[in-house]
Amino acid sequence: MDSNIMKEKIIHKGAEATLYYGSWFDKEVIFKYRIPKKYRIEELDKTIRNDRTLNEARALIRVKDYGLNVPQVYEIDTKNSIIVMKYIEGEKLRNALESLDNSRKEEIFKEIGRYIAILHMNGHIHGDITTSNIILTKNHKIFFIDFGLHEYSDSIEDKSVDLHLLKRILISTHGKDFNMCFNAFLRGYHQEYCKEATEECRQIIKNIDVIETRGRYVKKEERL
Amino acid sequence: MDSHKKICLGIESTAHTFGVGVLDFEGNVYSLVNDIFTPKEGGLHPVLVKEHHLNNFMITIKNALSKANCSIKDISLIAFSDSPGLGQVLKIGALIARMLSQILKIPIIGVNHCIAHIEIGRLMCNIEDPLTLYVSGGNTIVSAFESARYQIFGETLDLSIGNMLDSFARDAGLAHPGGPKIEKLAQKSNNYLELPYIVKGMDLSFSGLYTAAKRLIESEQYGKNYNLSDVAYSVQETCFAMLTEVTERALAHTEKKEVLLTGGVAANKRLQKMIEYICKEHNARFEVVPLKYAGDNGAMIGWTGILRYKMEGGQKLSDTFIKPKERMDQITVPWRD
Ligand SMILES: Nc1ncnc2c1ncn2[C@@H]1O[C@H](COP(=O)(O)OP(=O)(O)OP(=O)(O)O)[C@@H](O)[C@H]1O
Ligand SMILES: Nc1ncnc2c1ncn2[C@@H]1O[C@H](COP(=O)(O)OP(=O)(O)OP(=O)(O)O)[C@@H](O)[C@H]1O
Ligand SMILES: [Mg+2]
Repeated sequence: MDSNIMKEKIIHKGAEATLYYGSWFDKEVIFKYRIPKKYRIEELDKTIRNDRTLNEARALIRVKDYGLNVPQVYEIDTKNSIIVMKYIEGEKLRNALESLDNSRKEEIFKEIGRYIAILHMNGHIHGDITTSNIILTKNHKIFFIDFGLHEYSDSIEDKSVDLHLLKRILISTHGKDFNMCFNAFLRGYHQEYCKEATEECRQIIKNIDVIETRGRYVKKEERL
Repeated sequence: MDSHKKICLGIESTAHTFGVGVLDFEGNVYSLVNDIFTPKEGGLHPVLVKEHHLNNFMITIKNALSKANCSIKDISLIAFSDSPGLGQVLKIGALIARMLSQILKIPIIGVNHCIAHIEIGRLMCNIEDPLTLYVSGGNTIVSAFESARYQIFGETLDLSIGNMLDSFARDAGLAHPGGPKIEKLAQKSNNYLELPYIVKGMDLSFSGLYTAAKRLIESEQYGKNYNLSDVAYSVQETCFAMLTEVTERALAHTEKKEVLLTGGVAANKRLQKMIEYICKEHNARFEVVPLKYAGDNGAMIGWTGILRYKMEGGQKLSDTFIKPKERMDQITVPWRD
């Protein structure tokens, strides 16, 4: 490898990738390396790593157009499933949330809601909206990361599922802030979405409840 | 059996299994008897299941007591499954439990079936605070204890894993339950046919996979370019990899140090191997609940009843209604704090 490119240390071992902090020419970067997962067969593993790497890199580049803060992509190595992207200095929302005061929490979630609405209105599904996939920077910017499960879709169902995932992570991980944060999120989402399509927005939000009563316990006589 | 010990009788009646367990308040299980309704064809009809349970409950309870070497008079607590499940079937369990509680003048307590799966796993595997993957005919749930509840981190958005396997097996002409037969067939192949792999965050969807697998066995190529073993192998590899991915994502997110695999599908060796692999990667301890405690059984209901009884005492008879749709994350678990 080029001596201008260096992986310095592992900063995270996730379900999909191992993330290294390092340098790429004169830039501070993250190497998101989708390492082979030996629990699954090679054919499947290769396809998944390849697809997700390409998918994520493309999404990061596209969604920038809508004014979203996402890390800039510097290099894509599809052969080894590596994305080199800008290092975002800041704190994961997951860890930052507790120490923020309530008005700031509401402000942040309203803003997140606005951005997710913009994505959805343009047919982008994030695919894994969690508080681990949002970074807050020192100068109060909100960065969205982890677009590996990103999809293109205009369907109400896919958009509702996206919101449902956030709702559940807030319940399970930030239980006592759930109501305040999710309501603020929905306010921001609604406000933005309604600039274009009020009825569709209403349906997306309503459909979250429908998703919740599914899957749970499918009555056996209703099974296939 | 030690006659000084306090004994609980647990009744499982949420679906096709009518199960009775006899155990003491320290968690020693003396007997476990299941009577499973198997439909001659097609799915489960609640009315038939109900009839089956009504016809068999007496003998099942008697067997459980005699195996435990005790008399009905030795019982000091009745626990029954009050949620979630088929309303008509839950009612039978509740009815029997109320009757015994009144006749014997002993306390009664209702138990959530999903939480019971986790609690019996914690007891039998001697595990403290696991991330649980609960995979069965009715459920596909990734859960962990967080802020006073068993939170659901991931679940299926449509079919449960067991339901998907059983349905596909039925379409392929295999007898119920299909899961074990698919496991056997899969061992004979390593020819992977591509199938939809659908993961959304920590949630899963199996309906696309089911439809595609079904299409494979209806295709003209079937029996020529590939056989049933190949399809079974491909189905297993795909759906278990999905389950493993979301479990790993939940593990990274919750940072738990233990993983528990339970439910009927936990019997599958290939799934066990995959989950074990990610546990090693994350330095987490891995346990599979022993088979007779992983499927539906009365001991899990009894044990969870005992845990709650020790904290809160019994329920008033008028409070012992059934809750067919109750979610595990709606219930407090005071014994975990
Ligand atoms: N560009 C970046 N700048 C700074 N930190 C980052 C960046 N990208 C990722 N991280 C850090 O690494 C963590 C994991 O990243 P990411 O979510 O992309 O990986 P992942 O393997 O998909 O994770 P998982 O599947 O477990 O959600 C993030 O939570 C964040 O803390
Ligand atoms: N070796 C195996 N491989 C895959 N699936 C299996 C295996 N053994 C059993 N199963 C599946 O387990 C399921 C039965 O699970 P279980 O005994 O927990 O009953 P259940 O009533 O479906 O459970 P619950 O009410 O908790 O949802 C069936 O779908 C069956 O095919
Ligand atoms: Mg992530």
